Amino acid sequence: MGICHHDKTLKEIVDEREHSFQETGFAYGLERLELVEEDPAKFMRFQMRLVASCINARESAKLISANPMSMIQGELLFMLANAEGDVISASYGLAGHIQCMPFIVRNIANLGFEDDPGIHEGDIFSCNDPMYGPPHNADCYTFLPVFYKGELVSWTVGLNHIVDVGGIQPGGLGVISPNIFTDGFTYPPTKTGANFKQHKWWELHWKRRTRTEMFNVLDDKMRVAGVASLHDRIQDIVEEFGTEYYRQGLKEIIERERRILVERIRSQAIPGKYKYLQLSAVNYKGTLGKLWPASNRNWIIHKTGELNIRTDGTLLTDLEGLTSEAEFHANAYEPAVRMLTSLGMWPMFAYTETINSSLLYMTDWNIPPGSMFNPQNPYAGTVMGLGVIAGYIYLFHNCLSLAYFSRGFLEETFPADGTTIGYGAAGTLEDGFQWAGGDMSLITCQSEGATPYHDGFDAAVCSPNPAADIGETEAVEFLLPTQVNLGKKLIPDFCGHGKFRGGLGIGMLQLVNKPGRSLILNAFAATDGMGACALGRSGGYPGTNDIVVFAHDTNIRETLEKGGTYPRDFVEMNQWIKEGKLRAETVESYKGPTPSIPCRDGDLFATAAGSRGGWGDVLERDYDLIQNDIKYGWITKETAETVYGARVDEEGRVQREASDQLRHEMRERRKQRSVDAKDWWIQERRKVLKKDWHEDIRNMYSDCLKYKKFRDEFTGMWQLPEDYNIE
Amino acid sequence: MKPSDTGFSKENFELLIDGKLPWEEVKKAIRLSPKDADRFEKYIEILQEKMPWEDRILLRISDHLYIVAKPGGERGVTGGDRGVTEGDRVVKCDCGQEFGDYRINWKLSCRVYVRATDEAIAEVITIPEARHNTDLVEMREFYCPGCYALLGVEVVPPGYPPIFEMFPDLDSFYREWLGSPLQDEHPDWFQERTSEKPAAWIKEA
Repeated sequence: MGICHHDKTLKEIVDEREHSFQETGFAYGLERLELVEEDPAKFMRFQMRLVASCINARESAKLISANPMSMIQGELLFMLANAEGDVISASYGLAGHIQCMPFIVRNIANLGFEDDPGIHEGDIFSCNDPMYGPPHNADCYTFLPVFYKGELVSWTVGLNHIVDVGGIQPGGLGVISPNIFTDGFTYPPTKTGANFKQHKWWELHWKRRTRTEMFNVLDDKMRVAGVASLHDRIQDIVEEFGTEYYRQGLKEIIERERRILVERIRSQAIPGKYKYLQLSAVNYKGTLGKLWPASNRNWIIHKTGELNIRTDGTLLTDLEGLTSEAEFHANAYEPAVRMLTSLGMWPMFAYTETINSSLLYMTDWNIPPGSMFNPQNPYAGTVMGLGVIAGYIYLFHNCLSLAYFSRGFLEETFPADGTTIGYGAAGTLEDGFQWAGGDMSLITCQSEGATPYHDGFDAAVCSPNPAADIGETEAVEFLLPTQVNLGKKLIPDFCGHGKFRGGLGIGMLQLVNKPGRSLILNAFAATDGMGACALGRSGGYPGTNDIVVFAHDTNIRETLEKGGTYPRDFVEMNQWIKEGKLRAETVESYKGPTPSIPCRDGDLFATAAGSRGGWGDVLERDYDLIQNDIKYGWITKETAETVYGARVDEEGRVQREASDQLRHEMRERRKQRSVDAKDWWIQERRKVLKKDWHEDIRNMYSDCLKYKKFRDEFTGMWQLPEDYNIE
Repeated sequence: MKPSDTGFSKENFELLIDGKLPWEEVKKAIRLSPKDADRFEKYIEILQEKMPWEDRILLRISDHLYIVAKPGGERGVTGGDRGVTEGDRVVKCDCGQEFGDYRINWKLSCRVYVRATDEAIAEVITIPEARHNTDLVEMREFYCPGCYALLGVEVVPPGYPPIFEMFPDLDSFYREWLGSPLQDEHPDWFQERTSEKPAAWIKEA
């Protein structure tokens, strides 16, 4: 006898959910939405009660946390799933996670949890193992079954991004980990508590397996408090509306919203195929030594994708040609892909009354086995697969923006590029106190890409989280005792240029202050010198690279003690060093992630990210816009002239006639130095035949040519013999 | 300019297309629910009026490029460099330059300039630290051979096939989504043909 309706088992209802959709094309086979049709006002009241309950759980519970990412940067989510695992409603926050819970429930059903360890009122389950649904081990899930009169009617779920996962690198976003054993503390679905209380042994795991026990134990308590309070609210709602209404209502929410999403695509987009590419790199060569020989190399990560907007309004995303799985940190599983990429779907078409898993019913994926997002090695490292998946958020931003542009819905375009930086920190203070932490403020707040009708807004969006919030610098400084912020600001010229330019990237500069016995910093970033996107929009330039600069052993303290001005970002810091106003013994620069870098008192740590792409030809940019940029200091005179062909006088006014002439000359230069595509193709084909590329490029092509779709495209373009291969 | 609280006027739409619509009005357009059902028809009408040529616009695919129907009766069979036949659907720049069959990536009919060095990239990315690693990627620019507008930018490893950014299913769009089928419908219209162009080039070579 099972715990679900009609005494069915959890596995039976999960299987029925999948079969009924496959057979009918409607979620739960619902051709009619009876409750919606009979009393829409009542249904709306019902749905809004569910939404309010989730938001209430989040807003109350987060006060228990001490983790700044949860408290003030919105890196958490509370949600309600039905018994089958479909998420019906969620709070604000990390919205993408609603995609994962159906996978978790399916997995615990298949694992027979109903029999062992059993699923009972008050049980607490925990999971952060990506093989079973969560996207990576930094996102820790806690969930409770909700029973009503002995029937499993729902799950309440809470999760947040923890500060440190106990991996080979400090923090939650490590960029070195050859396998699951170096990823850190990873737990498959586990019953960790009963009677609405965690077992005492569970706390020991946080204390012994991670570096930030204080944050992580409180985060766990926060999640339990949230799901327990949500559990009680849901029981009240079932009591009020009745079990039949509740059970049926949750299913109708999913089917109704599936229909809304499909109709939105049909009414705003254009059916067809849209190509996307972003590149990044994993650079392990020389880092891991002899311990992991298969990891002693570099990879160019080939994030290719094709969005198929099908005539029925559903979407198929084809990742054939994606880099193969490898012994690095960047592998991932389908739930992670669906989770993070949904963050490109919410703003583009999936906004409805609430966020829920209706997306699962209108989006299909082809993720080839053996690719890095469908690893066949069960011990694949996944600690930062999300860093690579994040590039695919923008597949939806950019492909759908092009579709909306073509359909005439320019105001719905929302292009973006993959650029972002976070960092982890760990150290031992002078008195022996060991600590670790991290900051994601350049991830949780970014600028916007240019659209076909305006420049990207600055510091206005967050791709991984609909609730953008850069957080409070003071709170981050309090929790990261060695990091003193000297500046956090927009950086002039730091954008992809175009007729409309991208929003400016944000930079910050920190002073390392009294780290004591030791401190290491490691930055996670998105671009790796490959740019923020491989494609510009409509002739605009794509966003540029993320930047990390360490200046070691500086004399910045002398400058600060004197008073007066001091550098506030990497541009100013480098300028000060160049001009001799600041001394630094060594300077390390990166265009992407860094290994763990030891730092000492007086070092400077600069990061900058979020340089988003432009739209349209730079030579068509309105002179008034350029003049405005000069006025506010967003674009320098040099860039106005070099990039935009605008001559600017001493007062910052664009000289229009002189600029017209300069633009004419620049167009002539385009004419003189470009060649016909055919001539370019002939030259390029010779190089392809010679295979005379950088080792990393050769490795990338060698791998990707194993996938037929990319191989056909590549050999077709260059007219290569059938046996063309790269060793 | 007219307020757009209850609909989206053609006048405001023209301003939006020109990038001149005030943000407050844009927000009203974003909030419109439902959106104006005849948006696409209005779009084509506005764009058609702007063009210096008469070919019927089937779809706008970038700031400057359009898929147009060449006048004529039967669907033409074209490809590669064999030129344009009456009845074709071709990519056309607003300046009048034609790029051939829309099933072939229009980038193969462009003028191409490759920025393969830091110095060349510095012309468009003025912050040195933000530039690309030119050991691994190059920046390609695709210009219209007629007006030399910059139509596309790619940042890819050398040897990477030019990316065919958008291949619309025009027949399905017009028949099933707009309810006004094109007269020359045929399954071939949604069969990509990009590789035919290099195949023709290699024969010539």
